[in-house]
Amino acid sequence: MFSEVLNQVIRAFPPRPAALPEMATAVVILDEDRHIEYVNTSAEALFTPIDPVGATLPDLFESCSAEGGDDLFASIDASDNPAPTRIRLSDERLLDGVVRKLSSGGFVLTLDDVTSYVREAELGLRDTLTGLANRKLFTTQLIERLRRARESKQAIALLYVDLDRFKGVNDTLGHQMGDALLAKVADRFRSATRDDDLVARLGGDEFAVLQTGVEQPACAESLATRLVDLIGRAYALNGHMFHIGASIGVAVFPSDGAEPEAILKSADLALYRAKADGRGCYRFFEPAMDERIQARRLLEIDLRRALALKQLHLAYQPQVELETNQIAGFEALIRWQHPERGVVSPAEFIPLAEEMELIGPIGEWVLRTACKEAASWPRPVSIAVNLSPLQFKTTPLVEAVRKTLALSGLDPGRLELEITEGALLYDTAAVLRDLEEVQNLGVQISLDDFGTGYSSLSYLQKFPFGKIKIDQSFVRGIDRDGQRQAIVRAITDLASALGMTTTAEGVETPQELTCVRAAGCTKVQGYLTGRPMSVEAASNLLANDVTKAGAEESVR
Amino acid sequence: MNNGLHRLVYYSRNRVGQDPQTLSAAIKSILSASRRNNAQVDVTGALMFNSGCFAQVLEGGRAAVESVFERVQQDERHGDVAVLAFEPVKTRSFDKWSMGFVGASPDDIARYDTLAEASGFDPARMTGEALFQTLHSLALEEEGKQ
Repeated sequence: MFSEVLNQVIRAFPPRPAALPEMATAVVILDEDRHIEYVNTSAEALFTPIDPVGATLPDLFESCSAEGGDDLFASIDASDNPAPTRIRLSDERLLDGVVRKLSSGGFVLTLDDVTSYVREAELGLRDTLTGLANRKLFTTQLIERLRRARESKQAIALLYVDLDRFKGVNDTLGHQMGDALLAKVADRFRSATRDDDLVARLGGDEFAVLQTGVEQPACAESLATRLVDLIGRAYALNGHMFHIGASIGVAVFPSDGAEPEAILKSADLALYRAKADGRGCYRFFEPAMDERIQARRLLEIDLRRALALKQLHLAYQPQVELETNQIAGFEALIRWQHPERGVVSPAEFIPLAEEMELIGPIGEWVLRTACKEAASWPRPVSIAVNLSPLQFKTTPLVEAVRKTLALSGLDPGRLELEITEGALLYDTAAVLRDLEEVQNLGVQISLDDFGTGYSSLSYLQKFPFGKIKIDQSFVRGIDRDGQRQAIVRAITDLASALGMTTTAEGVETPQELTCVRAAGCTKVQGYLTGRPMSVEAASNLLANDVTKAGAEESVR
Repeated sequence: MNNGLHRLVYYSRNRVGQDPQTLSAAIKSILSASRRNNAQVDVTGALMFNSGCFAQVLEGGRAAVESVFERVQQDERHGDVAVLAFEPVKTRSFDKWSMGFVGASPDDIARYDTLAEASGFDPARMTGEALFQTLHSLALEEEGKQ
């Protein structure tokens, strides 16, 4: 064979240094014409079963399907001290090759197996669960890509993506299910992006995409639209269907920030906006976002002080028993009177308090104050207090209720805790256990805002609520809307079949009152039968025993 | 974990557009891809297009149905995917079809679509069971023709 002939020729050459054949580094010696004339044992092992002697390097690499070796000689022609060239063999092994000129004529190629080194380095930069880039790789790529974009005067878009409702899946169904879901989410990222885009998992349910080399902001907008759509589609996993969503904040280099920190901050603010706007959407950074965040920070500072500065107080709204037209109780409503801001709406500060984990102390204050004040009223009517879903997480509820009842001396039968469906969304077993214990103390548990949540009926089955509060959206204008009448009637029928009473919320006109009475509601609450009032006014109202329900209705 | 026979029923909105040629080409490509992929993992089912909606039944082993459905979800030729049923079943109902196309043929879709609308068939208003039954009876009709 041709190679054997060549081998004989090679053997006739001056002997190689004795150590060469046994060196761990693969050594290939080429003649002036760049044909291989010698390989040591390590090099032979690399290319087995192919015999490299006599071949050129391109022929050798082609015959064993190795990639990346074409440029080996380019480096030698350019420099005396060439950088290694990365060669990928067909079996995924990676070699670093360097070609040097031999003073005796010809060339020597050394090949080092760097497979494990590279793999480890890659692993340190890849998220092992999803195979996406990790935060470390993302950060170095951000810096590198910004540098290149600056040189080439191109735009880059950074998309920050947070999954909506993912924590619920993880908390209720376990990490394994959560991990499997994350892997599917990563797949959808890959299907929505181009190879040049860098997709990273920054941790938990946070992702980021760096979009380079395309027109901005148009391409970022279409990618964000696709991601919101794709990630928000249902997932079938282990026999279950999962619905999560994506909130996305987009910042574009250079307009939204020239440095990595600046562009990260802009994307973060935009993401914050997307979440505040109801999630499941994307928002581009706008300079005004900075100001809004500033405003929120100031509000946070004020809210932290509100309790200590005694700026919080309670207002009480009457609940009227329809059978007797008498006041059956009051709902305690929190008010924040700030010296400069004026009255801050609970709709504004309660969600903030929940996010800041202030809801625990604020909730306990409400409970304590309501019980104490109600205990001094002239008649033993009920007192309803709202519980935030997050209070179940942050405070030992049963202990707080027990202690408050003991301290205030309030008859447990007068206390009514109102919870929303939100409280039953996650970690339900623990919440139900808490509620049951509270109920065992003699306290009534009501379901608030009924009809506005996800699957109200299933919650009715989960817990023996004493009362259902029918959301005002079904009550408002009920006299002019047959559908609402039918819905309220259905709720009261259902409630009475389950042994629960009903309170219609938001009754504002005599006509609405007539309708909810006809629909079979037990109690009403609303501006018609009494606006929220101070504790003194509530106490006086009870002392005078005045009710307006019957009177208002007879006016028409 | 139960990897037994499962059935998934969904409908979704057409995003290909209304142009008859584009639509019929898209449906043909969806069909040929699903026939190829489904046969590999032993998933059977039927697809129909009506009133601007795709309706599809997938049946097979749980993991196989889930992976086929994941590919469906990543397809941007449709959107607003609503899953009406995903549950274990005892038997296959489309065992002869890697992916049957039922109702009007892809070429006739554009022409007949308005007719179908007039007939009142709207997958968006159906339960999973009703949609499944519709596709199944259309599939039986189709088999009768062959």
